[in-house]
This record gives sequence, C-alpha cells and structure tokens, in this order.
Amino acid sequence: MMLVSTATAPAIAQATDASVAFAGVSKTYSNGIFRRRAVAALRDVSLRIESGEVFGLLGPNRAGKTTLVKLLLSLCQPTTGTIQRLGRPLSDRSTLGQVGYVHENHAFPRYLSAAALLEYYGALTLMPHERVRERVPRLLDLVGLADRSREPIARFSKGMIQRLGIAQALLNEPRLLVLDEPTEGLDLNGRSLLRDVVREVRQHGGTVLLVTHILTEIEHLCDRVGVLVNGRLVHVGPLAELTRDASGSPRSLEKTVKDLYAETSI
Amino acid sequence: MNPLAALPVLRWLIRDTFRQSINAGVFWLMLALILACVVLCLTVSVVDAPDSSGHLDLGFGAVQLSLAPGRGVAVRTLEGYLAGWIADGAGLLLTLMWTASILPSFLDEGTSSVLLVKPIPRWILLLGKCLGAITFVLVQDTLFLGGTWLALGISTGIWDITYLCCLPLLLLHFIVFFSFSAMLATATRSTTACVFGSILFWLLSWATNLGRHAFLALPELQAAAADLGHGVELAYWILPKPLDCHLILTGILQIDSPLSRVFNAQPLTEHGAWQPAASLLASSLCAVLLMALAAYDFATAEY
Repeated sequence: MMLVSTATAPAIAQATDASVAFAGVSKTYSNGIFRRRAVAALRDVSLRIESGEVFGLLGPNRAGKTTLVKLLLSLCQPTTGTIQRLGRPLSDRSTLGQVGYVHENHAFPRYLSAAALLEYYGALTLMPHERVRERVPRLLDLVGLADRSREPIARFSKGMIQRLGIAQALLNEPRLLVLDEPTEGLDLNGRSLLRDVVREVRQHGGTVLLVTHILTEIEHLCDRVGVLVNGRLVHVGPLAELTRDASGSPRSLEKTVKDLYAETSI
Repeated sequence: MNPLAALPVLRWLIRDTFRQSINAGVFWLMLALILACVVLCLTVSVVDAPDSSGHLDLGFGAVQLSLAPGRGVAVRTLEGYLAGWIADGAGLLLTLMWTASILPSFLDEGTSSVLLVKPIPRWILLLGKCLGAITFVLVQDTLFLGGTWLALGISTGIWDITYLCCLPLLLLHFIVFFSFSAMLATATRSTTACVFGSILFWLLSWATNLGRHAFLALPELQAAAADLGHGVELAYWILPKPLDCHLILTGILQIDSPLSRVFNAQPLTEHGAWQPAASLLASSLCAVLLMALAAYDFATAEY
C-alpha cells in the first residue's frame, strides 16, 4: 500500500531543498526551583537532511537526541539558531500536516479503540474524513491490528500500542517521518514491519529521521548517520565512514561508535 | 488557519472529551446522584392544611418538612435546595473533581507529544477540550434540572418553568471554576494540583464573598477592621462570587434560603453595594482572563 503521497514524490526527488535544516542551533533548558540553573541540551548544531534520505541519529543517553527531535517538531523552541522543516520555518505549522511522528513511549487515550483513535488523529491532522476512513482499515491491516480495531486501547500490549503509533504516523502519508526510538517494545515482526515502512517511505521520495540506540537498525536502513554527544554533533557522514576504516577495510560499527563516544564525551 | 477548518477539529475534540468523561468513574457517580434526586422528587407530595400550616412529604411521607403556606412556594423551596445546594454545591465540587483530570491526561507527555505535532494551533486544542468539558456539564445540568423538574411536576402537579432558568447560572458558575482548573492544568499538568487547587480556589472565593458581604452588612465589623476594607473589596471584585450566584439563584426562584436570610440582599442592593449584573459580569471576566492565561501558557509551553 502507498504510505507517502506519490503526487508529491517527483517534486521531492527533484527538489534541492533540504527536508530538515538546522543552522547553529542551541537549546538551553532552565532547571531548578527558580529556573536559574541552565542546562545546555544542544550546542551549535548545524545539520541538513536531504529529501528522500534516511538519516540515523545516534548518541548516548542525555546526548540531546530527543531535544533535537522536539525542536524539529515545534514541541519546544531553540535558544539560538534557525530550523527549517520541509523548506519552511518552524513557525509555519502547516508543514506539520506532512510530518509523521513515532514517539518512543506512546500513551494513547485508553478509552478509544484503535480505529477511533486513527479517525480522531486524522481529523486533527486536517485530513478529509473520507480519506481518513479509507486509510484507517488499510493501515490497521498493515500493522497487524485489523482484527482488534474495535477493542479499547486499554487492552493493548506495549508492542501493539507501538504498532498503533506507527499506523498513526503514516495516516497523513508523510513527506517527513520522524522515528524516536521506534523499536521500543516491538517484537521481531514489528521491527521487520518498521524496516519495510522506512524503505517504502524512502522509495516514494519521503525523508526519514531515525533516532535509535540499535546499531543494526542504522546499518540496515540509513544512508547517513549523525552522532550526537553532550549536545554536540560530533560526526555526520555516510554510514560507510563508520563501517570502514581509512584503508577501506570493514570495521565494527559498535566499536567505531563506542570510540567516538569516548573521544568526544569529555 | 482557516476558521472553518477549525470547526470539524473542535467537533472531534468535544466528541473525544465526551468519550473521556463517560469513561471516568465520577461520571457514573454523578449520574447516580441525578437519578437519586429524580426518584426522590417522584416521592414528593405537598399537603395544604386549612390553617395554612402546610407541609411537604418526602419519601412517600417518610420525612415531613414544614413549609411556608402555598403549594407553589413549597415546591420552589425544594427546587431552591436542589439547584442551590445539590447542583451548585455538591454537584459543582464533584464536577470540578471529575473534570480536573481531563486536561492533565490530555497534556500527559506520551499523549501531548503526538497531539501537539499536528498542524492546528495549540489554543484550538485547548479550546476544544474546554468546550467539551463545558458541553458535557451542560448535558449533566440539563439532565439534573430537567429530570427533577419533570419528577416534581408529575408528583405535585406544579410545573414552574422558573426552575429551568437556573441552568445558565449553574453553567456559568462551573465555567468560572473550571477556567481556574484549566490554568492550573496547563501550568502543572497535574490532576492532583487541579483537584486541590480548584477546590481551594472555590473555598477562597466563598470566604472572600462571605467576608465582603459580612463586612458591609455588619457595621461593628467595619469599625473593627477598617484597614481590611479596600483589600476585601478588591479581592471580591477579582475573584468569582459564589455567594452572589446563590443569592441570584434564590432571587430567581423568589425563595428564602439560610444564606439569603443572613445576607439579605435587599439592604446591600439599596446601598448600591451589591449589583447582580455587575457581579455576574465580573465573574465572567474572571473566567475569560483565566482561560486567556491558560491559552497563553499552553501556546508558549515547551514539551
């Protein structure tokens, strides 16, 4: 089935605009009782993710990966720097109608059924109701929840909720798919489904930002990889740069990433 | 965003709030309370004695209440208790407790981080949820007033439409306190803070309103605490006015209640110290201001 809009696919393929562009972005949170303690979550991050690309973002815990995602999705504002989403500034919320987002820990309203949830979220994405009604059964079928579409979400396991999260992210046929630790709670079939989804989105010209700790996902799916340590983007480049040494011989991605964390975390 | 495009979104948010409300346990408790009141009203009979010492029987005569003469006055007095004490007292507190969880659960991190990644402005999300809560309370108030009015009409044969005019007043009173709950929800995202905060706010408003009227009604209090006068007056005009709402309600029904006997509105009105229209307007402005603060906080909050 079609996961992204093919109507826009040729335009995306030809476009030279980046899907995502961060320029000198920093983000500082104010913590503490009187909000006087400043904590820098991102420091001077500049990054471009081209249309049609699958970009993997790696980093240890508290590196600033989720902050980067939140900034991209307008969940918070940068302290300095500018961000563009699908070629438009963040203030243009209409671009969010072309974004799909899978959160690492979804908490959907437990009183809704899977089908009702998708219809509700489709309405909030300003999709025509007919289109939503047409896509909902197909997406539930895709994520393996078709036979439980009328059951309350309260009865769902974590893996089923995560599958539902994937379905809601694909509802609007996104041009930009943001996956924040998407394999959390997914079984082998779920992970395989997610890989298929990412490949299909890319095939139709969509862009994917994949934030994960799981290196095999990065190796299987990503064109380029960014490594974030202590709020700084310490490496951006093709996957091959991390899996091959200077002489071109293969090397372990895990070891390379570990070395990178160790070198840059001080 | 095109305002017309916002209408279906608001409709979905209201619908979602209805589902959320029905799913809450307090809703069923309130529905049981409404049914109990309707059944109680069906057991009412008014007995007019020739010497004008009539009484009102509840529970098919199990309880007898002496009342001022006249079947109409007796039924209106009972309606005053139903609207003024049960709906506007216990009902309002239960409703505040039950609606307190609507916004915090909507703003929970796992839920909001997906909902806020939608192309609609955040204030529309907040407006939709608040409208949903208000519409649902309107339905409940209508069920309560409509049900008890029908039951009293059937059991006593008195169909006094004035009772139904209390509906907008009850709803306004809820909106004022719910707007405070909404402001707390956007600031703290905590159900506990919303429950206790809105109940404390309700108590504070009652205390201020009672204090202000007591201050004006009792000259000896004015003499003893003259310095407090301006502060109390300022607090009275800023905060919601639940006592005024009660006095207006008893005024609509043209009945006496314990509070209207203590704070007889007549002398206050004569001195221009209590103006029902100005009181309602000030309470409404308080609600608008609190909602605007909640919307601003929600629009600028970082998630």
